[in-house]
Amino acid sequence: MATDTLTPSVDESPAGQVLRATRPDQRHRRGVARWFVLAAAGLFALLMLAPFVIMLLNAFKSPAEYSQDGPLSWPTHLYLDGVVAFWERVDFPQKLLNSIWISTAVAIGGTLLSLLNAYAIGVGRVKGRLWIIMLFLLANMLPQEALVYPLFTMAQQVGLSNSQWSVIIIFTVIQSAFGTYLLSSVLGTFPPALLEAAALDGASRWQILWKIVFPVVRPTLSVLMIFFFIWTWNEFFIPLVMLTTNDTQTIPIALASLQGDRMMDATTTNAGALVSLVPAVIFFLIFQRTLTRGVTAGAVK
Amino acid sequence: MSTVQTPTPPVERALPARSRRSRPRWVAYLPYLIPGALAFTVVILIPFGMNVYYSLFKWKGGLAPMKFVGLENYAALMGDEQFWTSFRNSIAMILAMVVVPTLIGLVLAAVLFDYLGRRFGGGVAAFLRATYYLPQILPVAVAGVLWNWILNSQTGALNVVLRSIGIDDPPNWLGSTSSALPTVMAVLVWVQIGYPVVIFMSALQRVDPELYEAAELDGAGWWRRFGAITMPQIRPETFVVVLTCTVAALKVFGPIYVLTRGGPESSTLVPSYYSYLNFFDKSKVGYGAAVATVLTLVIVVVALVILTLQARAERREEGGR
Amino acid sequence: MLRTRKPLVAALVALPLALAGCAGGGSGGGDSDDQTLTIWHYENDESAMGQAWAKAIEIFEDENPDVEVVVEKQTFEQIQKNAKIVLTGDDVPDVMEYNKGNATAGQLASQGLLSPLTDAATERGWDDKLSASLQTTATYDENGLMGSGEWYGVPNYGEFVGVYYNKDMFAQHGVAVPTTLAELETAMATFQAAGVTPLAEAGAEYPLGQLWYELVLANADQEFVDAYQLFDGEVDFQGPEMTKATETLADWIDKGYIASDSAALTAEDMGVSFINGTYPMMVSGSWWFGRLVEEMNADWGQFNFPGNTLQVGSSGNLWVVPTNADSKSLAEEFIDITLRPEVQNILGEAGGLPVAGDVSAITDERTRTLTQNFDDILAADGLAFYPDWPVAGYYDVIVSQLQSLVNQSKTPAEVLDGLSGPYEEGKADLLEG
Repeated sequence: MATDTLTPSVDESPAGQVLRATRPDQRHRRGVARWFVLAAAGLFALLMLAPFVIMLLNAFKSPAEYSQDGPLSWPTHLYLDGVVAFWERVDFPQKLLNSIWISTAVAIGGTLLSLLNAYAIGVGRVKGRLWIIMLFLLANMLPQEALVYPLFTMAQQVGLSNSQWSVIIIFTVIQSAFGTYLLSSVLGTFPPALLEAAALDGASRWQILWKIVFPVVRPTLSVLMIFFFIWTWNEFFIPLVMLTTNDTQTIPIALASLQGDRMMDATTTNAGALVSLVPAVIFFLIFQRTLTRGVTAGAVK
Repeated sequence: MSTVQTPTPPVERALPARSRRSRPRWVAYLPYLIPGALAFTVVILIPFGMNVYYSLFKWKGGLAPMKFVGLENYAALMGDEQFWTSFRNSIAMILAMVVVPTLIGLVLAAVLFDYLGRRFGGGVAAFLRATYYLPQILPVAVAGVLWNWILNSQTGALNVVLRSIGIDDPPNWLGSTSSALPTVMAVLVWVQIGYPVVIFMSALQRVDPELYEAAELDGAGWWRRFGAITMPQIRPETFVVVLTCTVAALKVFGPIYVLTRGGPESSTLVPSYYSYLNFFDKSKVGYGAAVATVLTLVIVVVALVILTLQARAERREEGGR
Repeated sequence: MLRTRKPLVAALVALPLALAGCAGGGSGGGDSDDQTLTIWHYENDESAMGQAWAKAIEIFEDENPDVEVVVEKQTFEQIQKNAKIVLTGDDVPDVMEYNKGNATAGQLASQGLLSPLTDAATERGWDDKLSASLQTTATYDENGLMGSGEWYGVPNYGEFVGVYYNKDMFAQHGVAVPTTLAELETAMATFQAAGVTPLAEAGAEYPLGQLWYELVLANADQEFVDAYQLFDGEVDFQGPEMTKATETLADWIDKGYIASDSAALTAEDMGVSFINGTYPMMVSGSWWFGRLVEEMNADWGQFNFPGNTLQVGSSGNLWVVPTNADSKSLAEEFIDITLRPEVQNILGEAGGLPVAGDVSAITDERTRTLTQNFDDILAADGLAFYPDWPVAGYYDVIVSQLQSLVNQSKTPAEVLDGLSGPYEEGKADLLEG
């Protein structure tokens, strides 16, 4: 929560803050109704988690047991051979590194690009911004199979074949389309008073962007980082085409190697997917905390 | 929102911008668009142009010769029954991926943030949010395997449970043409819900709590506050969720591929999957490109409508300020 | 490599022209790089193919000490869907495993992405080692049709569809191994009467289509197969072979020999339910063999589809050499090594159905039976390939139409109608090039 000298005076008097923190909390911490609501929300969460429970059941089961007793049975013993074999066969650590590198690069690059675009569109109010947003969104609207042939050929031409940079650039653009849209929508309702006051104080547009706008939209930027990381993490199709050798490939491609022409190794797929979920979930949990570091735009008073 | 009282503005600012400046203010922001525009042209515009180009040919792909056929692919599309079926199914997709998740997501986010967060603390809300979002983190292929295990008509968890409570002949969820589409829709809701919840919860961070307090003091109940304050405040995010989910619904491919492959009997065929079949299975690259182009055009039109509505709402609010 | 970086703009302008005009930029003839042999395949290391090919690589390295062998393990999806795109580039392997048939290898061949191997085949005697029906899938003409034209791929193993049966359940119900179709139906009726659905099936993937095709082959002859697969003549979808087969299948569904809710079941579901003893029989391919050995507790066996001379099956996946490969003669040498007895017998021992192996060298009895069954089919020139082969994208058509049959929402005649439309369209597409 960066409020520094450039922002106009804000009445965050200690008294006001304390009042805000205690009064509603004290009032609301009573009442039975809230337990029902919690139970309902919890039940809903359990429903959402049910498939994951099944996944856990099957991740460490031996294939013979899976075939004999079905997917809903409890494994009689912990079977790790499948996942260990898989780990070694696909050189999982390398794939993990690749996936982390690509997803992080896209998360950061995409968010940055979105911020720049959205600043011009939402705050700067460039002319024809509806059409510009539309154009950027085209990146999201195009089905991937339509893009893949030309992108592959272009990557070849510039010497980026089988390079992770091609994947990073492509996804930065695709994800930033969404980011531009979300951020410019939010920035479109940015209180002009804050901006005018800063301009009056002599701040340049660049300074305004980083000192005023950036702190206020941090929650939205966090959301973008999370989304971009996770969306890119699970991307399968474009990396499949662009990355042709084992040292550059990502986890989803490695998982796909368990699916053959006619046979599929279900238990190892589950174990592999479980392992690959972990980094994505960790990333989510880390960034989710920044989401709740609530910054209120209503600090304008 | 009250505006800050500014000191007497310098003379320059008092006059309308046009007469004092040689160009409007927004032009100064253009440089910020340059990196985005450049990347976009290379990665999106050019390939899209090439895609439209391919759609004018009959082509098998690879190094095969390309045969110019003009708009013949498009003409064939118009008469292709599977093509129209796939678009009809898109409407079902929109219901499952836009309408339901947005509505449920809104309520859930507000309940989590506003109600439960205050009464039980932010930790509980964050934990619940993480569980709702988990399906979004799962790769589609794995989700498909898991749901197949649940929905399998003979050994699936769902039917096992149903049989144990006495229902003798539980439906063939994914195998019967009457239940396949609704079943796929239900799975899609499961997948999508986390997305609006996360966005709306971040949007709710922006809402000034004092507004709520003022309303509470005036005696407004939770639902009233929800309708009068929450919803208008997070309008930009609502539009974003609606638009992006609609685009996603029109483009949906993964879940269909892993659950039903467009079956049974083409009852769950969607445009993206149909285009994929043409590109890769049937090696009719020109035709597949045409399907993709038409799909893109439909998406563009729908998006334009939503965006216009959003811009209009924004203008109305601006006028009211 | 050889290409230099071009300015982006110029490259982009030149692209459509390049794609339109350029037809294969391979060096053809001599090797431009004889220091490395790059191999792409997607078989498991523990599988029969994986083991045999490891041996082949060993032999190759012994005989070519100054060549480095690079093996890139790919995924099936990757190679299947993307070969068309990836092989147009420079970064291609020297030898690659690829799927056989018009819709796959044929496509690549007709697009000029594969290097012809006819000379190597005659020089090195591959055409003597492989029987006629195996060679069908090795050769493709300019339209990508198999059966004639240049050699584009070389198979190492074969595959075929038969009937796996649960010996324990057969004994339990007093059913003998059927040798004719009628006996098979009697056996199924016996199980059905005892409350056991006889046949495990899967309507969402290939198994049901293969069963249907077995029934077609029961009434068909080589001429029919040639017309259906090689477009040697006209196929009458409402003719006796197809009609009888479809009606029989509909009858079996009606009688409950096949579970009525199998429309959404996958091959995996089918296999698992056979392994855990829910069904006594499963009509599917030799690719299940290894898994059954590992996972099935009950006593089981395999017999050829009773009464048929023609069987569903073909050569296994092919070794192909991309046009843009830079070590073609090394590739050909490697392929030759994979056909040698030492390598082929490893395949046989592991149940991989070698094309040029010695059945008597196999030690395990079940494996020997399987391989002998396959050799019998080969001797009778009975491989009739797969039902979805003739036309690109036909797989989905067959799945969709047969699902209607299982759900009993279409009559056999309607189903055949639905099958003939896309077949004729695809055939016209393929023949006009």
